[in-house]
Amino acid sequence: MDEYIKVGDLRKRYTMGTLEVSAVDGVTFSVRKGEFMGIMGSSGSGKSTLLHMLGLLDPPTKGTIAIDDKDVISLSESEKGMFRLSRFGFIFQDYALVPELTAEENVSLVAMARGEGPESYSRRSRQLLSQVGLGDRMAHLPSELSGGEQQRVAIARALINTPEILFADEPCANLDSTNSRAVLDLFQTINQKMNLTVIMVSHENWHMEYFDRVIRLRDGKIHEDFRPEKTEAATSPLRL
Amino acid sequence: MFNDLRVSAFLATRSIQRGGRGRNAMYIIIIALVLTNMIFLPSVIMGAMDVYYEQTIDYISSDVIIKPPEDVRYIDDVETLLATVNRVPGVVRASARYPMAGSIDFEDKNVAMKIDAFDPRDETEVTLFHKHIKDGDFLGSGDRDQIIIGSLVAGEKDDTGEFYASLGGATVGDSVSVRYANGVVREYRIKGIINTKSYQADYMVFVTKDEMDAVTGPGGAQATEVLVKTISNEDAPLVKKRILEFGVGENVKTWEEALPDVVSESIESFAIINMISVFGGLVIAVVLIFIMTTIKTFNNRKQIGILKAIGLKKSIIINSYVMQVIFICLIGAIVGSLLLGAMVLTFTTYPIEFPDGNVTPIVTWAMIVENTALLFISSAIAGFIPAWRVTNEGILEAIRGG
Ligand SMILES: Nc1ncnc2c1ncn2[C@@H]1O[C@H](COP(=O)(O)OP(=O)(O)OP(=O)(O)O)[C@@H](O)[C@H]1O
Ligand SMILES: [Mg+2]
Repeated sequence: MDEYIKVGDLRKRYTMGTLEVSAVDGVTFSVRKGEFMGIMGSSGSGKSTLLHMLGLLDPPTKGTIAIDDKDVISLSESEKGMFRLSRFGFIFQDYALVPELTAEENVSLVAMARGEGPESYSRRSRQLLSQVGLGDRMAHLPSELSGGEQQRVAIARALINTPEILFADEPCANLDSTNSRAVLDLFQTINQKMNLTVIMVSHENWHMEYFDRVIRLRDGKIHEDFRPEKTEAATSPLRL
Repeated sequence: MFNDLRVSAFLATRSIQRGGRGRNAMYIIIIALVLTNMIFLPSVIMGAMDVYYEQTIDYISSDVIIKPPEDVRYIDDVETLLATVNRVPGVVRASARYPMAGSIDFEDKNVAMKIDAFDPRDETEVTLFHKHIKDGDFLGSGDRDQIIIGSLVAGEKDDTGEFYASLGGATVGDSVSVRYANGVVREYRIKGIINTKSYQADYMVFVTKDEMDAVTGPGGAQATEVLVKTISNEDAPLVKKRILEFGVGENVKTWEEALPDVVSESIESFAIINMISVFGGLVIAVVLIFIMTTIKTFNNRKQIGILKAIGLKKSIIINSYVMQVIFICLIGAIVGSLLLGAMVLTFTTYPIEFPDGNVTPIVTWAMIVENTALLFISSAIAGFIPAWRVTNEGILEAIRGG
């Protein structure tokens, strides 16, 4: 399981007129199962592009991605969709919850789409929402929740289909430090208790204390690949 | 597949329940009005046409009309023809018309027109003139020096508002002088004034067949048409077919076939006006639904992108919008039908007074079903296109650009 996700010479090139931008420029690495990995780097260094390729949202220009020894790049669009629905969880900077659905319904929707029965999905969404600390907010609409609360609903939504890998692109960008910490603590707990692989993009250096491993990009290339030292602050206050 | 529809229905239901009720109510009302508008004008036109058709059957042609073959002026041996037709199953009675051109003089007025004749016994079973005598009486068999005239022929003392030349207020008991085309001149007493509300019927005058025989002289009056009344609910084309099977060699037409070309042409014009009004309604509905869905989907771009990123199928998302459109149309159609029902009820109780009759709008189920189906199909397409367009946008563009 040392090479759960295997990335080989991954590239993404954008052509804008005559100008060529190598957003990701020959990246090779592998991720262990259960690793909490941070992708860091300055703005424009290619973090999001890399994450999108790993999450099968954007096809690479060149290179290979294998998950569990399965080549995922050659999957069809609908197979990729199924793959994302059943094996990945996504959290974005914008929570983008469905505005007409309550917190509980937003979470349930994804399980429903996978064909789960109403009893099972509503029980599990309630459970997950309680675990992210929103037990008393389940019937609220997104407009009735704070940013941090909405992001926690999005996290519950990402977890409802018991994914193997959780992708997060700057999930704390719109949150204050208290809420950011709550989200990161949650990630850490999920990562540890559920042995979930977490790949998270961040450009905040203090987030590093949560990561098992950091890949730092510069101009689309891996500039650094290291394991930060763990500090006390990173121990989870939440129970899952 | 079924599960996908369940998810779409869930999204659609919640969106209708919680997403801008006022706006949805407005869409529903507009759809209801569009449907009402699509059906109401045609229903009034149909009502007016129905009045005209009824008048045609009641006074002008009856259910089936027999005329001489083309290029022949008179029906040959009308007595035998009448006897034959009266034996045909489904026929109540046949009545022949024996016209001659002429002019009527009353005081200083003169009207040139066709003087028609019939056998009153036959005629009362075929047309409804005898039931619409405003003043005086209908002709009796054997009446010789009497005439009945239409109310438009009689006219008013003050005839400035009249469209046709009239006798300027002739009344029952007045004496008129008729000069026939063959030179014969007769004095008649006005026995009755016909008032049917039909322009055509109220501009006719009649004497008895016996009188016309005498006016014509040797050989007797010549018939130009035979009006045939069928028993009620009998299919006119069927009776026509039977008449032909009985060996009638004349020109046999159902009342519908006998309608003058002008009428058939105006029916066509009505159909075109109708189509334009239906099309106009549809355009409003399509534009409305298109804008509605475009706004909705565009506002939800980012959310749609993320749902797709999570792995929800495009079809689930598109269908959720199409279902909302269908729901709005469904409720709109129900409200529209109720509105129409109320309008029809109102106008049945208080008919629209047209000069030639009281018109009640006629709404058939076929009209409602047809127009609702048209509305549904065009609205579903109008909702599908923007939903499809936004949903087909790349996931990343949607997430970034929202
Ligand atoms: N759709 C695109 N078309 C053209 N160029 C693009 C596109 N997407 C990204 N790029 C370019 O690729 C490079 C990397 O972009 P990317 O979004 O991965 O950066 P990032 O590290 O996530 O930055 P940030 O921290 O600002 O989010 C940038 O130079 C960007 O301009
Ligand atoms: Mg980024």
